[in-house]
Amino acid sequence: MISDIITILIVGAMISAIYALIAIGFTMIFGVGGILNLTHGALLMIAAYAYFVTQPYIGRAGGVIVGIVLAAVASYGVYMGLVRYIEENVVITFMATIMAALALQEAMTMAFSQQAQVLTPIMPGSVAIAGTRMQYDQLLAFVFSWVMIGMLWYYVTNTKDGRAILATSMSERGAIFTGVDLPRVRRQTWLIAGAFAGVGGIFIGRLQQTSPEMWLEPLTLAFMIVIIGGVGSIKGSIIAAYLIGYIETLTVALLGAPYRVVVALLIIIAVIMYRPEGLYGREYLE
Amino acid sequence: MSNEYDRSGEPVVQRFTREFLGEPNRYQIASAGVALLALLTVPFWAGQYLYVFALASIWAIFAMGWDIISGHTNYISFGHSALSGGAAYTTGVLVHNVNPDMAMYITFPLSILAAIVIGLLFAVPTLRLEGPYFSLITLLGVLVLTQLVYIYGEYTGGELGITAVSTLTYNLTNLYYYTLIPMLLIGAVLVVVSQSNIGRILRAIGENEAAIESSGIDTTRFKLWAFLMSAITMGIGGAMLAHFYGNITPSTVLVVDRSLEMVAIAVIGGMGTIAGPIGGAFVFIILRDEVLTVFGSTGRWLALWLIVLFFLVFLRDGIFPFIWSRIGSIGGGRDE
Repeated sequence: MISDIITILIVGAMISAIYALIAIGFTMIFGVGGILNLTHGALLMIAAYAYFVTQPYIGRAGGVIVGIVLAAVASYGVYMGLVRYIEENVVITFMATIMAALALQEAMTMAFSQQAQVLTPIMPGSVAIAGTRMQYDQLLAFVFSWVMIGMLWYYVTNTKDGRAILATSMSERGAIFTGVDLPRVRRQTWLIAGAFAGVGGIFIGRLQQTSPEMWLEPLTLAFMIVIIGGVGSIKGSIIAAYLIGYIETLTVALLGAPYRVVVALLIIIAVIMYRPEGLYGREYLE
Repeated sequence: MSNEYDRSGEPVVQRFTREFLGEPNRYQIASAGVALLALLTVPFWAGQYLYVFALASIWAIFAMGWDIISGHTNYISFGHSALSGGAAYTTGVLVHNVNPDMAMYITFPLSILAAIVIGLLFAVPTLRLEGPYFSLITLLGVLVLTQLVYIYGEYTGGELGITAVSTLTYNLTNLYYYTLIPMLLIGAVLVVVSQSNIGRILRAIGENEAAIESSGIDTTRFKLWAFLMSAITMGIGGAMLAHFYGNITPSTVLVVDRSLEMVAIAVIGGMGTIAGPIGGAFVFIILRDEVLTVFGSTGRWLALWLIVLFFLVFLRDGIFPFIWSRIGSIGGGRDE
């Protein structure tokens, strides 16, 4: 009994750390541009496949770096090549980004087939923590997640560029008045969001699956986490990521894996009914 | 609408066309007539494509069902296949588990009812709120329903689905008219709704909901009614699709890709116009099943989504409103 609880605590923390990575990029882009970027899941997929392809040639660390860089570049590309031209219309952007995600899915299917691929462990081996066997990669994901969150926190509070991003997400008009270069802030935000998605994608691809359809579930997760945490709030997203991560772990332990999405739907309906602005949301409702 | 002359003595028919078609010129009336005639006579000029055209008719129903809520109010649903798929599965599950000979006049209304119930589960918590909540719930809803089909595989057949549903007919000409006529009837009803004051309010909600709300209109009620109409339409289409294929699998009627196809059809045809998505369905299905197959079974999807992206970026209004306004400007045209 006690050991079961400890297992759930540890497993939940590991998976939640990855969810936080996925959700942060999504919420940053929403906070800065008011855009729900539905290609976000596809960025994860790009990173996972980049690691899959390059790892045999340039090693594990090289594969991870290429994956992160490629996801960041792809994110930048989505903004500069597509979203920039349509961002004044939220609904069009919404639909165009999911169509782009579908196109990427088909492109990946053509390149790598429908088959799910198995990624080489980033750090092979496993360790027992309090009687629970954990792969090193799970621990690595946890460490990566918090290191990146720490770096992001430093960036948005202590550097000029980062503070411009924070200011823009608080008040776009106010940021413009204080001389913030808005297009530049947006470009940077998309790059950073892409990098976060890249890290999340490599770990999701490694620990769950790498297939052309892997973008959908993380995307809905990010979407849910952002709604629960409060749209645009990084702190809220991290807390909500842990909330969802633990609830999922509990659901899998008590009801079985297929019920994850059912429970998720019930939670999100409850949140929308009783606290639609989320945990830390500014009043998004008009 | 301009006020050019006193309309008190206007003939009824003329008044009707002005109200519902917005003063078309003779070329527009002629081209709409030709299009309708072409649809009604497909067996005589495109006999080998009857199956594709019949399928496109059903997809036209889905696209119109999507359009009446999402195309008009800009509350984008990513999960309308949960409604049509729910209806199709209701038909399938009843036939498969209860009675293989169950008559259509029992399964059909129950299927529509299922679509309405699923739709209300989506709509009631989310449609009172502005913002992306509705889209998230619809997206999650279709994933949940797909998952439930697998969880209750003993009743739903799981991945392989249900094959026991009776097909409408094996005669392709009859099949075509069985799908075309209901589609045109639904289309007529929805065009009337769309062009009436209700449709105007729905479109205005899409433009600026706050303004509509401050003029004293309860927007939530309009959104819910629009969604109800949408759910009924999806229910009819879903039950038809079940009988069209004769089998029901998650991948043909339910998965989220099917929902996004509905979005794509409405975007190509012209969101918020009802008639546009009808045309869009024929364009989309013919592209998908006949034209783009030159790119292979995966490549055609890539090409399709890229085409939809092209429309979203460069031709947001869709192809048919574009053509309609071009025809309307023949001979000088009156700009409204």
